[in-house]
Amino acid sequence: MMYLKRMLPVLLLLLVCATVLAQPKKKGGLINKPNQQNKFLEKQWWLGIKAGTNLAQAIPTKRYTVVTPTNYAQALNDKEYDSFNNTGSQATLEATFYYKGFSFSAQPTYRHSRFTYSNQFQWDNPENVEERLVLQYDQEQKLDYADFPFIIKYDILRDKFRPYAQVGIFYSLLINANKAVAVSGTDYASGGTNQFSNDPIIVGAKDLFDNNWGLMAGAGLEYNLGNIRVVLDASYWKGMSNISNVESRYGSDRLAGIGDAQDDMKLNNFVISAGVLFPMRFLSSSFKTLDR
Amino acid sequence: MRLPVLLLAIGFLTSCSNEADPSADKASFTRIYDTDNFNASFYPIDMKQTPDGGFLILGGRRINDSNFSGIYIMKVDEYGGFVSELEVDPAFVNPVGPLLESGGNYYFFAMNAVGLQTQLFQLDASGTLSDPINVGAAYPAAAAQDGTNFILLSYDNLNKQSVVSLITPTGSISQSQGFTIGAGDAVEEPIIEHFLRTGRQLPFLVGKAGGQYYFNGFYNYTLSLVFTNLTDNEPEGVVQGQQDDGGISQAVPLDGGTFALARFNFGDNYILPKSTLNTNGVSASVDLGGNSFPELIANAPVKILRITLGTTKRVLYGSNTKSSQIGLFGYDETTGDFTGSKYLGFSNPFELSSFLATTDGGLAVCGTTYMAGRFPRVCIFKLSADEVSQSFQ
Repeated sequence: MMYLKRMLPVLLLLLVCATVLAQPKKKGGLINKPNQQNKFLEKQWWLGIKAGTNLAQAIPTKRYTVVTPTNYAQALNDKEYDSFNNTGSQATLEATFYYKGFSFSAQPTYRHSRFTYSNQFQWDNPENVEERLVLQYDQEQKLDYADFPFIIKYDILRDKFRPYAQVGIFYSLLINANKAVAVSGTDYASGGTNQFSNDPIIVGAKDLFDNNWGLMAGAGLEYNLGNIRVVLDASYWKGMSNISNVESRYGSDRLAGIGDAQDDMKLNNFVISAGVLFPMRFLSSSFKTLDR
Repeated sequence: MRLPVLLLAIGFLTSCSNEADPSADKASFTRIYDTDNFNASFYPIDMKQTPDGGFLILGGRRINDSNFSGIYIMKVDEYGGFVSELEVDPAFVNPVGPLLESGGNYYFFAMNAVGLQTQLFQLDASGTLSDPINVGAAYPAAAAQDGTNFILLSYDNLNKQSVVSLITPTGSISQSQGFTIGAGDAVEEPIIEHFLRTGRQLPFLVGKAGGQYYFNGFYNYTLSLVFTNLTDNEPEGVVQGQQDDGGISQAVPLDGGTFALARFNFGDNYILPKSTLNTNGVSASVDLGGNSFPELIANAPVKILRITLGTTKRVLYGSNTKSSQIGLFGYDETTGDFTGSKYLGFSNPFELSSFLATTDGGLAVCGTTYMAGRFPRVCIFKLSADEVSQSFQ
């Protein structure tokens, strides 16, 4: 399995190469005749960069816990996940081959995503209401991935403004992960209402997460600006596999010690990027390449 | 060209999915068993793995009706999931480990709160408790397996004796011998504080090595490791401590007449993974030497477990560190060389109660943690075979 995971980036690279090799060679150099120019414009290579922000949503598929109740419902301790509440960021290199309205794009991306969850524990004495303690655990996960998406885009209009729709598949290679746990609480048994909070515990959590894959769909708008093309792109990335490492969900003593176990979960992202694309094939010495 | 590659990529992606793995969930987990009762206090004493892969835990609990600890029994499944618990009638107190096994059932000793007579309790693998059998001895202090029978160390407060008894699963005493602790109240004081849990928990233990029985208890004013044939009222051998300030904190017989030992002396702790004792004479524990472990709490309770990793035998020591973690230390049983360590627990304090080798080649460690730094609760660390091997190989 690990071998397959290591091979995946290589596979994606091969995919890009296959696309390159599939392009037939032009013979006879650049062509200036109008009908031939249109034909020329049916194909184009674009290289570019994009950057932007993302909002993550973790969906637990199977819950795990360290703290196991013996006299109350487990659901009272369940973690509550926030959805699309924390902004992350990403930077993308884009290599796209355009052909007759369709684009085939490889977009390796460095993505930093964040999501949060919280849970609460309470101890009390039914015979003495003053004997009560409430603890709140707020946990933030920061994940860094190298994403390798393969995307197919379709240009809805082929004018100066070029709206497009896109679908794709991606594989996310985990680069790093961190967790920050903030513990706060209210102690009613100390002769008053003692509200306290501790400094967050920050731990490396790479062992708790794993690589994953998913599907994406979205839309965007490209605008021809001179010889280049600026792009605004929005997409929804749906995680299709578990992002947690099932073999080390209790692997961090620091987290297990405070009662945290990693749930199985899938990670969705809403990704917005803006960038610029550069054509790789030019029409003439005037470098006019676009249909302007 | 592109379509096959794309299909191949999708195939790869699907095969790389990382879905839930029940075997991994069983192999390694951490659990803390919590009640939301502010005043509840539980501490485990011993844990055994049951044939269904789950665990049976014998523990103590705070009760309002007695100065002694009440009896608490919990059953968890192979994933560490809570199955059932039993808070035994507070008429019975002072549970003593370990959980003993005979005829597919589990046994432990305790005593009744009024008569202070030793009781033998029987449990089945699901944690169901049978009515106790009155054994008759007073103040049970330690127990051990002797084939299908049991060895009990008890304290006879009337005759001021440490008493070693052989007991059948039906509660009959087949053989018994008492050894004087010495005259006067001073020597009895730490013993009573041990039972009431108002003082230091003393490392009482009992067992059998070769043809000799041994107990770690008070003899002749001193906490001593005493060897006896249970026939003579004089010991065959004595490893003397320093009253209750020094002595043996744990002893497990190894092959070839040697012992894996731990000892304490005025707060200091020493580990002796392979030691030869004079079992037919008088010696002093302070002369045994050993590896100093200043990271352990003063006069630390120590547990010792023999395990096999592949073809090699290991002796694992477990104890409580000053940083409030459970420390596990591995030694080669043959050479006595140190092979590795592992520390469990963080944030809240953790204390070791018992640990055992599991049927999957892993290790289960049972202890007490203090949730929110104050509520004593039972916890289990289950380590996979790989984790054990990486730590102690």
